[in-house]
Amino acid sequence: MSLAVLVVEDDREIRDVLRASLAAEGFDVLTAVSLSEAAALLDHARVDVVVLDLGLPDGDGAELVRRIRRTSSLPVVIASARHQEAEKISLLDAGADDYLTKPFSVSELLARIRVALRHRGTALQPATTRYARGDLLIDVDAYRVEREGRPLHLTPTEFKLAARLVRAGGRIVTHRQLLADVWGAEHVHDTHYLRLYMGQLRAKLEALPSEPRHLLTETGVGYRLVVD
Amino acid sequence: MANPLTPAERARAGRDLVGVVVAIAAGTAVCAALDGVISLTSQAMVYLFAVVAASYALDRVGAIASAVGAVTAFNFFFVPPRYTLAVEHREHLIALVAMLAVALLVSTLSAALKRETAAAHASETRARQLRELAAGLLAAERESDVLRIGREALARRFTGPVFLVGARDGEVDDRTAIPDDVARGLRCCVGEAAVLGPGTGRWPGLDAWYVPLGPRDSVVGAACVAPADAADAVGREHAEAIAALLAQAIGRLRLAEANLATRAALQRQHLQSTFLAAVSHDLRTPLTAIVAAASSLQQQRARLPVGEQDRLLAAIVADASHLSAVTENTLQLVRLAAGGEALRLEWQAVEEIVGSVVARLRARPGGDRIGVRIAADLPLVRGDATLLGQLVGNLLDNALKYSDGPVQLVALRAGKRLLVSVKDRGGGVGEADRARVFEPFYRGGRIGATRGAGLGLALCKAIADVHGASLVVSARPRGGTRFTLALPVEAQPEAALAT
Repeated sequence: MSLAVLVVEDDREIRDVLRASLAAEGFDVLTAVSLSEAAALLDHARVDVVVLDLGLPDGDGAELVRRIRRTSSLPVVIASARHQEAEKISLLDAGADDYLTKPFSVSELLARIRVALRHRGTALQPATTRYARGDLLIDVDAYRVEREGRPLHLTPTEFKLAARLVRAGGRIVTHRQLLADVWGAEHVHDTHYLRLYMGQLRAKLEALPSEPRHLLTETGVGYRLVVD
Repeated sequence: MANPLTPAERARAGRDLVGVVVAIAAGTAVCAALDGVISLTSQAMVYLFAVVAASYALDRVGAIASAVGAVTAFNFFFVPPRYTLAVEHREHLIALVAMLAVALLVSTLSAALKRETAAAHASETRARQLRELAAGLLAAERESDVLRIGREALARRFTGPVFLVGARDGEVDDRTAIPDDVARGLRCCVGEAAVLGPGTGRWPGLDAWYVPLGPRDSVVGAACVAPADAADAVGREHAEAIAALLAQAIGRLRLAEANLATRAALQRQHLQSTFLAAVSHDLRTPLTAIVAAASSLQQQRARLPVGEQDRLLAAIVADASHLSAVTENTLQLVRLAAGGEALRLEWQAVEEIVGSVVARLRARPGGDRIGVRIAADLPLVRGDATLLGQLVGNLLDNALKYSDGPVQLVALRAGKRLLVSVKDRGGGVGEADRARVFEPFYRGGRIGATRGAGLGLALCKAIADVHGASLVVSARPRGGTRFTLALPVEAQPEAALAT
């Protein structure tokens, strides 16, 4: 049975292009032009992943994301323009999985959907606790980090940060989420903690910290670990 | 006079009386000393001299009193029979009457002369004050200066409280620190554009004069001065003269202000039309290419070789991406220029910003030419990550476009600045162009060579400006261009307590 994508997009041209290209990749494609239509479809149809456009005419996408998160871990990928930065971050904080900046290519969209789908049903499955890619290994359960086969020493905070990103399994983790999970809810605005500790972490995990290959910065939004 | 005398007037009357007595006593003493030595006629002359002297020192009443007193004393002490007011000879009587007439005439004339001298002196003082005021006003550059100078000038002449305010469109500018009744008077004065107060026929019951600055339809303010006396026409005229000078000065400043605003508006309009022309050029060029390629594919696909079809498709994607970048730069520049949006200034690591920009550009054709060198342990900077990323991205993008060789990005600390330089080995920017490359849509000699750099550097400059940073372009010793962004390094935030 093929996977079902719900595309929520109010522009007809974009909707049609996405429908065609996703169908060509073997997805069943459902479309909605508004948040209310999307909500109705989610109640009555099987959906495996949602591609949600920001700035829909009938209201705040964050509400829909929160509603979805109350009952499921259905992956949600946001498509936003540059000037919708604040709304995008609030949706990610509300539990959306990833975002695309408009204009985006079909290959970018497919890559994001693939990463998001990898965690389908993670609420029921054990969380990802191991990251092994190229020269880097992070094993959260074993409290072990290695680069090029040699063990690395991380401070407790550095390790907590790395572990939080590993558990996200390649999805973006916003500044707020990282600060809340590692330092506590009262520190969600202290983004300089992240700058300092992520700098240290890059220096340890990356062969070339100025051009990281694993630990990527999503400017103004958060961080992610690259997965293949 | 029905009016009771004021203490000052009473004191003055007392002084005058003493003056009259002293003058007559002095005349009498001189005549007594010279009695028998000089003739009666000469004694009359001595008294006349005393009268003239007293008249010059005293006012009109005092002058008349001294004339009458002197003739009486002369008659009493020296005209036979002495020590009576009776007159023996008819000749003496005629002499006394003539003397009285002469004394009265002389005293009147000298009092008038004195009054005129005083008036001339006062008017000269006023004229000098007005000249000084006019000179002072000429140097005033702000309306507040004019009002301050005006207040000082009014306070030199009027001892009571002085108020002076500007007004625009019939409305008084500022009513702070002005009593309510005065504020009301000033408002009426501006509204009616006429002098109010004693002797003006308007609101004669007031104890102050309200003087508008400027004629009807162009009242630029109003003054309130006290004390105001209906009889003091000179004082009122002086206040009006000062008001006229102040009105002129304020009018001059407002005209200059209006001229400046007009010129700025024109400049803005010019910039806007340049902006529109350039944006429409930058947008239309890639759009034209996209429409041409897409319509060619739509209509001629069957006849086009596969390689050509691929080339057209690649062109569409490339032009559309370029269009997207131009649009993003344009929107960002407009947003920054509008200044409405609050910047998200947070602590940022230059390494992160550069890292994500370079990662994005690496994927582009030519992206492998970028070399990055970032000093270890760079301080954090306060900034908007998205904007700084756009700045660095535009600089790298330009360098890749205008050169074929390696492009280097270097970040290091130099004292209180964090320097980010982007260097290429391209054709370089001419000396003359260097100052202008940051102007919106300036393309220098590169027109046509590569499209659409029009806004990128202007946006870079605007972003640098909002971060309190400088952005300069310089030529490299062995060819090529270097753009250097110098970000201010502030006191660093305290590090997290956890390890």
